[in-house]
Amino acid sequence: MSLSALQTAFETYLTDGALPSNELLEQVRGCTALSALEGLRIYHNAYRSRLLAVLREDFPALQQWLGEESFEQLALAYFTAWPPRHFSIRWLGEKLPEFIGSYIAEPQLSPIRELAELEWAFTLAFDAQDVEALSLQAISEFSAEDWVSFRVSLTPSARWLRLQYNTLALWKAAKSGDLLPVATQPAGNRDCLVWRHNLVCQYRSLEPEEASALRFFVEGGSFAELCESLSATHGEQAPLQAATWLKLWVNEGLLKLRATIHE
Amino acid sequence: MSKRKTLGFGLGLRNEYYRQILEERPAVDWFEIISENYLVEGGKALYFLDAIGEHYPLVMHGVSLSIGGSHALDIDYLRQLKQLADRVQPQWVSDHLCWSRGNAHQLHDLLPLPFTQESLLHVAARVRLVQDVLERPIVLENVSSYVQWTTSSMSESQFLSELSYLTGCELLLDVNNVYVSSRNQGFDPWQFIMELPHERIRQIHLAGHSDYGQYLIDTHDQPIADPVWSLYSKTLSYLGPTSTLIERDDHFPPFEDLLSELEHARAIANGVISRATL
Repeated sequence: MSLSALQTAFETYLTDGALPSNELLEQVRGCTALSALEGLRIYHNAYRSRLLAVLREDFPALQQWLGEESFEQLALAYFTAWPPRHFSIRWLGEKLPEFIGSYIAEPQLSPIRELAELEWAFTLAFDAQDVEALSLQAISEFSAEDWVSFRVSLTPSARWLRLQYNTLALWKAAKSGDLLPVATQPAGNRDCLVWRHNLVCQYRSLEPEEASALRFFVEGGSFAELCESLSATHGEQAPLQAATWLKLWVNEGLLKLRATIHE
Repeated sequence: MSKRKTLGFGLGLRNEYYRQILEERPAVDWFEIISENYLVEGGKALYFLDAIGEHYPLVMHGVSLSIGGSHALDIDYLRQLKQLADRVQPQWVSDHLCWSRGNAHQLHDLLPLPFTQESLLHVAARVRLVQDVLERPIVLENVSSYVQWTTSSMSESQFLSELSYLTGCELLLDVNNVYVSSRNQGFDPWQFIMELPHERIRQIHLAGHSDYGQYLIDTHDQPIADPVWSLYSKTLSYLGPTSTLIERDDHFPPFEDLLSELEHARAIANGVISRATL
């Protein structure tokens, strides 16, 4: 058997969950310690155990929700549908939230998928690109012109989620090792940010007004335009409210300077 | 006993110990990183890599090269590896003599090759390409294995020897892997080591395994077993001083326990070397 044929036969055995083909078994020289089948089985079991361990680590709250056995069934079905294709096992769970859509039915589907999306956002934030976050020191050195025109974007580690369920409460309970509350759907969606600041992953939800202002700002509005957009709701207090939020966002390491008028 | 450049006694760098290493600067001569853990855009791993690299020599050890795979080499992976090497400036870059990727899947395991002429020519061509991209010799490690192929026409150590001769690649001798495979497949571990071209051995690995009675599994989650220490001692008596690294990948003990194992390796090496110079 050629190298290529042998590897294809072995790959098929490792990934399809069935017994090894006779063709593959004939390629193995058994010995006293391990028969051909026993030797092959070690690899077969290791493949699943390794992938499962990574998924358990990346989706601990999801596992707690589903229970170990159901989580394992979900994981094995997922590996069949989305076998690992990236050289780094770190990307194994990338398609799990999407896969859940085809695996679980409502009413569980939506809250479970949302929890998976939240957990994957933390994985993405953990090792996203490093950038220099906009600092209060940098702002203090702005010229009057800069203040009018500076624009920002969210730091690359930030993921903006629109949560329909009490997903943060579920995630926090899992993280603390508590029993998960029942999934509920509060009135209206909740904006939630997940990002990394000073090497540590952060998260928080935003009230609708703050979410709207931040979205306007990071989508390219200048600070002056932000103040103007707030004037309808805040009147003369609009610049003060904009400055208060700006200080909060900067302290949280959420923003990256996009450009000033001088660039 | 040959004279070779040695880094001394090192440990695998794992995130469980990042802070302690930076704060206490333990007496470890060097650290080996798992390359793939640092092929990321940012965050904690790269921060500690840079910080620890300011104080210790580093070596890069990969698990995804799949040098023996019949698929095309992943050039994107190689480029990322080269970029990391440019950042880390490692003493050397290593991976395994195995395959880890099939036609459709990343298999994320160190799978054994049939040791045939076909495999040898295939792997040799890929080693040359890898060395061209990385602009340095690659260092390849023998893996633990649980099957052997009927088509093999030479031993793993003969294969490594031929491969090194054909390509100039260097060797990472994992003493634990030799022991695990020898128990599983019933060969003489010492003969395996004797068949290697000693002048090409750049580094030694030591690690723990799990003993299931009839067979062993290379788990890296246990202290190093006594027969592996014995084989290490015998190996050093033959090789002379050789850069030695202890790997631990699960059931992480207090860092002090790993330092004790490292001291044990040092003591064995000192005993072997002083006996040799009497």
